[in-house]
Amino acid sequence: MFKIRISLFPKTKSLENKIDDFHDRVLDSAILFRKAIKVFLSNDGREEYRSVNKQIKKIERSADDLRREIENQLYAQNLLPNLQADVLELIESLDKINNRINDVVYKFYIEQPEIPEEMHRMIEILCKQVAECCESMGIASRGFFKDLSIVRDYIHKVYLMENESDLTCNKIKKAIFAADMELARKIQLDLLITEIAEIADIAEDCADKLLIFTIKRDI
Amino acid sequence: MISFLFFLSSGMFLGWSLGANDGANIFGTAVGTKMIRFKTAAIIASFFIVLGAVLAGAGAAETLNELGDINALAGAFMAELAAALTIYFMVRARILTSTSQAIVGAIIGWNIYSSKPTDLSLVSKIAATWIICPVLSGIFAVVIYYLIKSLLKVSRISLLKQDACTRVGLILAGAFGAYALGANNMANVMGVFVGSNMLHALPLPYGLSLSPTQVLFLLGGIAVAVGIFTYSRKTMDTVGRNIMQMSPMAALIVVIAQSLVLFLFASPNLHNFLVLHNLPTIPLVPVSSSQAVIGAVMAIGLIKGGAGINWHLIAKILVGWVITPILSALICYISLFVLANVFTLQVYY
Repeated sequence: MFKIRISLFPKTKSLENKIDDFHDRVLDSAILFRKAIKVFLSNDGREEYRSVNKQIKKIERSADDLRREIENQLYAQNLLPNLQADVLELIESLDKINNRINDVVYKFYIEQPEIPEEMHRMIEILCKQVAECCESMGIASRGFFKDLSIVRDYIHKVYLMENESDLTCNKIKKAIFAADMELARKIQLDLLITEIAEIADIAEDCADKLLIFTIKRDI
Repeated sequence: MISFLFFLSSGMFLGWSLGANDGANIFGTAVGTKMIRFKTAAIIASFFIVLGAVLAGAGAAETLNELGDINALAGAFMAELAAALTIYFMVRARILTSTSQAIVGAIIGWNIYSSKPTDLSLVSKIAATWIICPVLSGIFAVVIYYLIKSLLKVSRISLLKQDACTRVGLILAGAFGAYALGANNMANVMGVFVGSNMLHALPLPYGLSLSPTQVLFLLGGIAVAVGIFTYSRKTMDTVGRNIMQMSPMAALIVVIAQSLVLFLFASPNLHNFLVLHNLPTIPLVPVSSSQAVIGAVMAIGLIKGGAGINWHLIAKILVGWVITPILSALICYISLFVLANVFTLQVYY
């Protein structure tokens, strides 16, 4: 039997798949970030950390390629003419999350900071909060394209997790400067912790934009 | 025949201006928001306006002829010119106006000059449609707004598919709107020439033919199409920019509401159906597409919190309702006097 399948939306289907893939990259990146720091803190997984670092780099590159393809397709096929600028801004903001995750993970790999044992738990909590913040942002953004009703809930979660991550970040910083170690080490750790927390800040900025785009998307 | 075509020129001019202005009401937002290319919009609008004018233009024209059956060609020419001049003056005075109101005023002016009786009940019926038109368009817009909103909620259609559907919807609604505009507003362009029409029936292949009135409307339709191609691009861009804060979906709602109103006031079939079932009928009267658009846009603004309500605009419409027919009747009366006494032309029989 012959099966004839006619797609009513051939142009949109291909772009929809690319946008979906792009969001997958954001979620993958967030999950791997959490894993990477956990592996780093375990001290005995140097090779494993290297492999996770490579994976994150690969995801970041593929997200960059997808972003470019989405941008080209949107303009070339004149899709979403009234939302083109908003969609591009959203995709670019999400891409910044991927880039920052890649930078932070690589920095840990290059600098190999010595982190006191008593701080491991707090850093793991911070990374969990930051990762959840990024994941929620990815899901909210996917909702903007597929199901508008979930966007607000996940944006709310982004704000919540960002706030939590700020509190944890401050706790760690206090612990760093209260600890008995060299000032250079303290500054190094402080910078690294700040950079981790900044990933959640980028996600929060992204959520702010998405909230406005969602209002604009309404009839 | 040459003199007939010369006198027809005022109607052709009005047709051209209808295409330039009202064409933008149908596809303005779609072209302005880059959802549809101008060329595509112009081709669809022209084709369906001609189709509407030829197939269903007679209904509204008949009502105008009931108001005043202008039987002399020079009289018809002057009535059209008076309407065109009124629109020109009103536009210059930045008062919102409608071709329908101008033409009704001009016919009444001709009635007064030729001492023919004016059916006041018909005048009040027509005047009522000027109020009903934007109100009805607003009601349609609200109903369609909630229908689409709940449909989107239930279907959970993706953003890109919604965009593609809106594009198709804008083309279909635009085609329907153009058909309704041709059917409804052709009475303004060529209606007054029906009584003095000197054109012959046009035979078509497969045993079909166009009646002399349909040929007249075909010419009017072509004038409208020329107006769309030559001058509506600017107006479409302006409409698109002015209503840029409206999403393409809202634009679609406005176009559907406006098209439905124009169709209701132009469809002889619907009129006959209502008569047959003893239901209250809708008078077949040419109405203003601009006012239908304003009604729909304001209604959407109202349900979104009242931000879209421009009371200054409403006041301007009300002023236009009063001034346009009076000014048009006055210009027509004076011009007919000049035409009859200076140029010694027969303006009525």
